[in-house]
Amino acid sequence: MYSVSQIIGLLCLVLGTVFSMLGILGLLRLPDVYARLHATGKVSGLGAVFLLAAAIFLTPLSAGKGLVLIGLLLLTTPAVSHAIASAAYRIGIPIKAGQRDELRKRLPKIKPHE
Amino acid sequence: MGPRNSAIQMTILLAIVYLLMTANFEPINLAFSLIIGLGISSLVRPQHLSIQWRRLPIALAAIAGYLIYMLVDMWKSSLQVGRILLDPRLPIKPGIINIHSGSESEMAIALSAHAISLTPGELVVEMDDQGEMYAHCLDISQAEELIAEAQKVRRSFLNQIFE
Repeated sequence: MYSVSQIIGLLCLVLGTVFSMLGILGLLRLPDVYARLHATGKVSGLGAVFLLAAAIFLTPLSAGKGLVLIGLLLLTTPAVSHAIASAAYRIGIPIKAGQRDELRKRLPKIKPHE
Repeated sequence: MGPRNSAIQMTILLAIVYLLMTANFEPINLAFSLIIGLGISSLVRPQHLSIQWRRLPIALAAIAGYLIYMLVDMWKSSLQVGRILLDPRLPIKPGIINIHSGSESEMAIALSAHAISLTPGELVVEMDDQGEMYAHCLDISQAEELIAEAQKVRRSFLNQIFE
């Protein structure tokens, strides 16, 4: 029989795999770099958090180490997504099917090459 | 509070983090954690680190509440983005909207930008020195109200942490 911690671990494992798959699906389906960053950086990030949680419950990884790793992951992934998005905007990559762009007024020198 | 005092505080904090990381409370590891903490804090030389130890439990509780709130927020918006991704029509309305952070301190602006970027569906692309943030959203139709509401909750946590 499974113990309670094993059941929680398996649940986390399944959720982590599902969110990682959703992230890759988003990478393939979404139209441009900004939208893809939402899928890869964050949905997959949540997947990685769940996989780490599963590792805490199922492997000898200690809970303290796992929690610190989760914290560091949550701290750094948004910085990476922001850096890539900012760089993409500054070299003028257009937003596909964009409906509003309030940053254009602020940075008028950057021209999107359609 | 002199620089030596804050260096000692930083050493202790770093030692605690190291002990949590290694999860090994044997005397030799305790000594090693203090050596590492001392080494780092002598390299960094903290000047303005002032920890009010009496407020630490409240601040730690607020940090824990903030983390749980962020994880719940992340979970909900990940499900929302997942639903969009699985929809055959891919119903996205991307765009960049202007968000006013509404706070002055750099730390609070950085943390709210971090929180906005952490939730799927919102991503801070650019920010300026007046605290205006420009966020790319997957669905701009109701993003503004949602972000404003979440900002309010987050700010109450942050005020508790940095009193």
